[in-house]
Amino acid sequence: MFFHYIDLSWRSFKRTPLITILMVSAIAIGIGVTMTSLSVYHMMSMDPMPHKSDKVHAVQLNTRDEGSTWWTEDDLPQQITYQDAVNLYRANVPAVKTPSFRTGYSIHFDDDSIKPFIENIRVTGLPFFEIFDVQFVEGQPWTQEQEDNAEMVTVISRELSEKLFGKESAVGKQVYYDEHLFRVIGVFDNFNHHIKYYDLTNGHFNSHERAFIPFSLTVPLEINNWGNTNGWKYQDIRTFEDKLQSEQHWVQFWSQLDNPQEFQAYQEYLTNYLIEQEEKGRFEREAPSFGTRDLTDYLDYMGVVTEDNRVLVAMSFMFLSVCLANILGLLLGKFLKRVPEVGVRRALGASKRDVFAQHVVEVSMLGLLGGLLGIALAQLGLWGVRTTYSYYSELATMDLTMLFSAPIIAISACILAGLFPAYLVCKTNPAICLKTQ
Amino acid sequence: MLEIKPIFNSLFRSKAGAILLVLQIAITLAIVSNSLSIIKDRMDYLQTDSGYSEQDLFQISTSVFAKDTDLLYLLEETERTLLGMNGVVNASFMREVPLSGSGSSSNFGNKPLDQNESEDYRSVNTAYTTTPASIFDTLDMTLIEGRFYTDSEVLKFNGDGGDLPTQVVVSKHYLDEIYPDGDGLGQFIYIGNSPIEIIGVVERAMGPWPKSNRPLNFAFFPIVDATGSQKFVVRTEPDMREQVMNEVEEVLLAQFNQRVIMNIQGLDDAKREYQASDILMLRMLVILIVLLVSITALGIFGMTVFNINKRTKQIGTRRALGARKSHIIRYFLVENSILCISGMVLGAIGAIYLGQMLFEHYSVPAFSAMYVVYTAIFVLIISLLSVLFPANRAANISPSIATRSV
Repeated sequence: MFFHYIDLSWRSFKRTPLITILMVSAIAIGIGVTMTSLSVYHMMSMDPMPHKSDKVHAVQLNTRDEGSTWWTEDDLPQQITYQDAVNLYRANVPAVKTPSFRTGYSIHFDDDSIKPFIENIRVTGLPFFEIFDVQFVEGQPWTQEQEDNAEMVTVISRELSEKLFGKESAVGKQVYYDEHLFRVIGVFDNFNHHIKYYDLTNGHFNSHERAFIPFSLTVPLEINNWGNTNGWKYQDIRTFEDKLQSEQHWVQFWSQLDNPQEFQAYQEYLTNYLIEQEEKGRFEREAPSFGTRDLTDYLDYMGVVTEDNRVLVAMSFMFLSVCLANILGLLLGKFLKRVPEVGVRRALGASKRDVFAQHVVEVSMLGLLGGLLGIALAQLGLWGVRTTYSYYSELATMDLTMLFSAPIIAISACILAGLFPAYLVCKTNPAICLKTQ
Repeated sequence: MLEIKPIFNSLFRSKAGAILLVLQIAITLAIVSNSLSIIKDRMDYLQTDSGYSEQDLFQISTSVFAKDTDLLYLLEETERTLLGMNGVVNASFMREVPLSGSGSSSNFGNKPLDQNESEDYRSVNTAYTTTPASIFDTLDMTLIEGRFYTDSEVLKFNGDGGDLPTQVVVSKHYLDEIYPDGDGLGQFIYIGNSPIEIIGVVERAMGPWPKSNRPLNFAFFPIVDATGSQKFVVRTEPDMREQVMNEVEEVLLAQFNQRVIMNIQGLDDAKREYQASDILMLRMLVILIVLLVSITALGIFGMTVFNINKRTKQIGTRRALGARKSHIIRYFLVENSILCISGMVLGAIGAIYLGQMLFEHYSVPAFSAMYVVYTAIFVLIISLLSVLFPANRAANISPSIATRSV
C-alpha cells in the first residue's frame, strides 16, 4: 500500500507542478536557513571530551578585593596569578592538576636547513597529558623528574614533527626555540577538535599548540605568556621577578576530580587556601570565592556558542515556522480541492485511516524532497559563512548528525503542517461529495 | 463602499487560510524589524571612520631569535631599510598596531593616584602605544592642538626600559573624556602618581579594537623599547602597497636574517578580519530577511490565486450582475489589506516583545518602534503587489462563466 501511496503522491505532484514546486522550495529554503545556523550552533556547543567532561574542572580564584569587578557573570577572573598556580600545583590534595599558559618561540635549527618560523608553544605540567588524554604516537611525555629538574625537553605534535623531520623519527632530535636548545622526547597525536577547550582565553576556536614544554622552565627561561595578562590594582612591575610576585592573572589552571569525595575535598582545600592567602594581606574579601566549573559548564560560561549564533538560530526557527504556515495554507487548498475524488475512494471502501495515511505519505514526500534540497542550500550557506569568516572554517560544516537531522526535521515539519489538512479531508462525508458530481 | 462586510463573511468561511496568512505576516514583521535594528547597529559600527587611510598602510611583525643582538640598532636599521624601499612614504616602529585586534590599554587618572578619594578624580581607559616621532607622518594624522613630540624627546631602550614617559599625544576623543571642559592641552594624566603632560591632540585615531566601547581613545607615548618582537607600520604611495608588501620579507631578511618576518597585512584587511564575525552576522541577517519577505510574498500570492480559482463562479456572477473590473480588483486588495493589517497589529506586539527578549539576553541595541513602522509599510506594499497580479487575472474572468455549469 505504501508504494501505491507514493505513486499517488507523485501523480498528485505532477498534476499541480507549480504548487508543488512552491511548497518544496518553501521547505527547502526554510531547512537551508535553519540548518546553516544550526550546524554552526551544533559545532560550537559540542562536548569535546564526552567521556570525562564532568571530571575536568577549570579552577578560578577570586584573589581581588571585594567590589573589584570583572566581565564574567560572577566577577571571577578566568586565570590565576603565578604564585597561586605554583601553590595549587604543589598542593597535597587528591586531584590530577596542572597550570598551563601559552607562549611562543621562533623554531629553527641554527642553520639554513629550514626557514625559521614562529610557533605557539604551551607551557604546562606533566598532568596536562593525563587530564586531556593526549595520545603519544612516539616517545613519552617528560617524566616528573625531568620536570622537577627543569630539563630542556619538549614534546611536539605529529604535524610539527613531519614539518621539522619529515618521515624520520623525531624522538631524540634537537631543535632551537629562539636561542634555547631543546630535545624532543615525544610526539603526540594532533588535537583534532575545533574548540580549543583547554585554553579559551584567546579565541575559542584558535589553532592548537603543536609543542609543549615543562612549566618548571618558566622561571629559568623567563617565559612570557602570549595571551591576556589582567591586573586589578596598581603595581610597579618592571622585571620578570616582579611579574611572578604580582597580583596579575595570566595562568590557567585545571584539575581532574574523579569522584564526589575528591570534589568535596578540593572545595574545602580551596576555601582554606583562600582564607590563608587573605590572612597574608594580599586582598580583602568577605568570603572566599572561587570557581570549579566542569568542562561543559565552563565552555558555556565562557560563551563558546556566540550570542550572534543564538540569535540566528532563534530567528531561523521562526523563519521555518513561516515556511510551514505557508505550506499549510497551500496544502489546505490543494487537499480540499480533492474532496470529491476522496469521496469516490471512500465510497469504494477506503477507510478514513487509509485516506489519512495517503495524505501523510504525500506530505512526507514533500518533506523529503524539501529536506534534500535544503541540505544543498545549507551547504551553500555554510560555504558563504566560511568565505566571509575564515576563522569559522572548521565550524561551518555539517557533520553526519546534522546531515541526517535535516531530512528528519523537514519531514516532521511537513507532517506537522499536513496533519490538519489531511484531517479535514478524511472528515468529509463521502455521500455529500458524490452528490455534487 | 469597500464591501467590508461581505469580505469578513467570506473570510470567516475559510478561517484557517486567513489565520495562517495573518500569522505569517506577523512573524515576518517581527523578524524583519528586529533584524533591521541589528543590521543598522552593525552597519554603524562597521562604517566608523578610523582616521587612517587604511588602504595605503600595512603592518609587519618581526621576531628576532639570535642572541646578543643590539635590538635597538636593529630596530632603527629596519626602519631605514623600509624607508629605502621603492614606493614607501614612511615607516615606523609601533608596539601596538591600530585595527589589529591586539594591543594594550590602561586607565589613566586626571590626578595622582594618592588623590583618588577626591571628588573630581576621574580615571579613563584608553588604548595606548609606544612609538617614535615618525609615527605621526606614517599614519598621516591631523594635529588639532599643541604639537607632536620630536625625535629627541623619545626615550630609547634596549629591552630594559622601565622609565615612565613624561609626555603624551592623545586622540581628541580621549582628551574630551578625561578633560571634558576642553582645557586638556598642557594638563597631565597620571600613571600611578607619575605625571605625563598632554602636549598634542590628534583629530581622530582608532586604537587596536574597533569593537571596544571606546574605539577612538588612543594615546601615543614617546618611548621606543626594542625587544626581540618588533612591529612596524608602513605607509606607501597609493597603488604601490601590493608591490611593497610582496617584496618586503625578502628585503628585510637580506638586511638581517636571524629573525622571522610575519603578519604582513594591509590595515584594511586587518580591520576586515577583526570585523569578520560582524560582517558575517550582517550578511546572514540580510539573506534571512530577503528570503523571508520573498517566502511571505509567495505565500500571499499562492493564497490569492487559490482563492480566485475557488471563486471563479462567484466572480463571474458578480461581473454578470454589473460589477466592474476595478470592483473585483478592489475586493481582493481590501481583503488582503484587512489580513495584512491584522497581521501587522499582531506582528508589532510580537516585534516589540522579541526586541525586549533579545535586549535582555543579548548585547543587541535597544529596539526602536520606528523599525516596526518602516517594516510594516514595506510589508504592506509587498503584500499588495503580490495580490495585484492575481487580482488582475480575476478581473478578467468573463461574466459568461456564471451561466455555465461545471
